Amino acid sequence: MHLLIESIGFGVASGAVLSLGAVGFTLQFGISNLLNVTYGALMSLGAFLGLFLLGHGLNIWLAMVLGGLMIGASSVAFSRGLISPLTRRGLRPFSLVIVSVSAGIVLEYLIVVVAGPATQSYGNLSGATLRFWDFTLTSSQVIILVIAVALMLGLHLLLTRTQLGRAMRATSSNRTLAQSCGIATSRVSDLAWLISGTFCGMAGIALAITTESFDFTLGSLFLIPMIAAAVLGGVGQPYGAMVGGLVVGIATEVSAAYWSPAYESVIAFAILILMLLVRPRGLFGSGSARRLLA
Amino acid sequence: MTGLEFYGVVLLVYLGTDLLAAWGLNLEFGVTGVANLAYIVVIAAGAYTYAVLTLGPDTSFGGFQQYVAGLHLPFALAVVAAAVVGAVVGVVIGVTGLKRIRQDYQAMVMLVISLMAATVVGADTGFLGGQSGLSLIPNPFSGLSAGVGDWAYVGMVAFACVVGYLVMRRFTGGPMGRALRAVRDDEHAAAAMGVSVVKMRLLSQAVGGAFGGVSGALLVAFIGGWSPGAWAYVETLALLTAIIVGGLGNDFGVSLGTFVITVLLLQGVQFLPEIRAHTGLTEALGWIVLGSLTIAFLAVRPQGVFRERRPRYHISDPAADEGGGAGTAMTPPV
Repeated sequence: MHLLIESIGFGVASGAVLSLGAVGFTLQFGISNLLNVTYGALMSLGAFLGLFLLGHGLNIWLAMVLGGLMIGASSVAFSRGLISPLTRRGLRPFSLVIVSVSAGIVLEYLIVVVAGPATQSYGNLSGATLRFWDFTLTSSQVIILVIAVALMLGLHLLLTRTQLGRAMRATSSNRTLAQSCGIATSRVSDLAWLISGTFCGMAGIALAITTESFDFTLGSLFLIPMIAAAVLGGVGQPYGAMVGGLVVGIATEVSAAYWSPAYESVIAFAILILMLLVRPRGLFGSGSARRLLA
Repeated sequence: MTGLEFYGVVLLVYLGTDLLAAWGLNLEFGVTGVANLAYIVVIAAGAYTYAVLTLGPDTSFGGFQQYVAGLHLPFALAVVAAAVVGAVVGVVIGVTGLKRIRQDYQAMVMLVISLMAATVVGADTGFLGGQSGLSLIPNPFSGLSAGVGDWAYVGMVAFACVVGYLVMRRFTGGPMGRALRAVRDDEHAAAAMGVSVVKMRLLSQAVGGAFGGVSGALLVAFIGGWSPGAWAYVETLALLTAIIVGGLGNDFGVSLGTFVITVLLLQGVQFLPEIRAHTGLTEALGWIVLGSLTIAFLAVRPQGVFRERRPRYHISDPAADEGGGAGTAMTPPV
């Protein structure tokens, strides 16, 4: 019982980071209808940018915000420079996935060219270990949890209370109709990419904080659990992604505790495959047929 | 045997095995339109099958590696077994692709299958040697002297390629090729004409898987070792780039693309001198060029350098004949 509660605690901590990444991923999918596999490489880039900023004496949490914003800007450049032109050319979704996988590979190996393939580390940022009830968490994990919750709350307020948020939801739901209503969809897209890219970068840095060491494959390692979380919650549904992140995080940690740590990623893989094959619109998906058609 | 000679031997063996793999993937993706991003798994299946059927029981050599089976089958039998296992694994993977979901979701499923296979095999130390893999895999020509044995291996790979090419032509040409392409271009029309879409797709996965299995077996018998690091998901990307650049569905184009990408680009760069203090630079550059090539070709020329040649049928009438020959290709699926 103690093991279960403890692993649930770990699951919530890792789930918070997964949620952060999954929300960004699902925002990008909602706005562009693209399974953006480059997301993983962008997370790695974020982690390395964080390392760079940390090395210049910046406080880690400031580095997280700044690094996140830099990745946000990179995401806008990525969408404007690569995705939009290719979509305009009429590339099918499948080819775009291959393009995003290739772009991810190019980006990851560019990181190797600049920073080398060796593993890096942020050093020991864990802080004090906190124990309450049966949970054991480090203070940095708690801070990340708080940041993730705050960001998702902020996103919720943005989406529901602001005009921009309404425009984003409209564009995500039906782009043409949104354009007919006078919404500047290209600018809304840019902002959506900026926000989701920021989430991506911050998730990458959060991952680097919580793992002892990382290399250029950091993002790719955690990308699949994040996609699993996003698909579980329903692609394009930020709230679903939040819940999905928690579910995947807890499932992973509990299975690692009771089964074997080596297989923990298999749980995320299995969730993703099952969801894609059995219920692609996810648990909370709107079921709009447009997304599911080949 | 000089270093340069051995370099040549290595490149030729890699070329041969990569050609077999590319032909298999071309059959699945280029001709039949099956988005198999998990192709490397059938290559790995073939390699592991060959390994566990020729290594002998895992208690030998001091028992430093653990795996299932462990027989001492002769070379040819082990290669055939690898082909069969490759075909079976290919069909199993293909079954997951039968569900009619968006093509990019399908691609995602295949990608995840590839990752899952690598994780599971890497995690279970008793199944196939875990993360460290298997080594000391016997080379069938190990009895011969070094120089002769290596060139004999090249000869055998060349023989396998000739046989493979003939088998592939059997599938990509003629009525079978037309049926497969019909499934790729328009499933409903193909079904209406009486072509069983499911059967064709699974058949292409089986044959493609057999090609992959043989490729893996031949590769592993030469290298002598195999581990999950050798079959990461990016390897499928390398093959995919080769066939996209060369020309999907065009046998010659695919062969040329394989030569350029996998031999010149990926293998050749590894023999360039390492720039000091920058380990892994040349390999990284190779992958960067590869990824950029894929993006460039998909954006600008998805048919590849050599377009698929589709026969155009016309009634030959000397008066009105403007000259026939290979017609223009229909727009390929990419």
